[in-house]
Amino acid sequence: MITAILIMALGAVILGAALGYASVKFKVQGNPLVEKIDAILPQTQCGQCGYPGCKPYAEAIAEGEADINRCPPGGMEGVRKLADLLGREVKPLDAEEKPKQVAIIDEQLCIGCTLCVQACPVDAIVGAAKQMHTVVASLCTGCELCVKPCPVECIHMERIVENIDTWKWKYPVFEIKRVA
Amino acid sequence: MNRMSDLIRVEVVYALPDRQELLRVELPAGATVRDAIENSGIRTKFPEIDLDGNKVGVFSKLVKLDVVLRDRDRVEIYRPLIADPKVVRKQRAAEGKAMKKGAGEYKGC
Repeated sequence: MITAILIMALGAVILGAALGYASVKFKVQGNPLVEKIDAILPQTQCGQCGYPGCKPYAEAIAEGEADINRCPPGGMEGVRKLADLLGREVKPLDAEEKPKQVAIIDEQLCIGCTLCVQACPVDAIVGAAKQMHTVVASLCTGCELCVKPCPVECIHMERIVENIDTWKWKYPVFEIKRVA
Repeated sequence: MNRMSDLIRVEVVYALPDRQELLRVELPAGATVRDAIENSGIRTKFPEIDLDGNKVGVFSKLVKLDVVLRDRDRVEIYRPLIADPKVVRKQRAAEGKAMKKGAGEYKGC
């Protein structure tokens, strides 16, 4: 009787240890597909897709809830990459494609209210209460979320004109053709 | 645990409308806002920065220069406002423009 109980207890301990070890060793960090989709999204966290940020949108795509053409900052190129990854059809973008923009604060009008700072999803605005607010152009994703909260309408968006300083080399896209 | 030997990484930022500098510095744990600014070399790039005149903060909150930083903080050096908030508000009221939503949250005046 006691031997039987001991054997069962021993078995429970060994199996428990094995399961515990396996859960640590083979831990999967979330859905790997979400990570891949998130890597394609532009990380503007602008919410134009209807989701609170890029990661939630990636999760929605992975679960099949959201379409792949809801991200205006990603543009058609983003849609194409997502279609490739997920094996879905390329669809036209569900919004107008806008040129790259950056927010500009009119220093003559800024009253230092911090509302734009709070609205910025990427911490691109430097400023505190009753201090001048300034957009750090290299961090600004052009999402326009700071424009509306400003009580004195001192923020406007400016198109980034391509010149020697702002031009970026675009990765060439090679179409992979299937050889029969 | 010898925590004093740990390094913290912080950013120091100073922004003008047409030129912004975002510098990364590594400092020993326990370093203050002043240490970060002095070590970042941002004052050689912008000699006009005056630590007694320009207010400083961490992530949009004004802090004193002797505040101890945490890892991944962003030290921000601010510039004074040009406009007088009260005047701007009066002007907008006179022009019949409403201060939009959120204006009530401003506690400055």
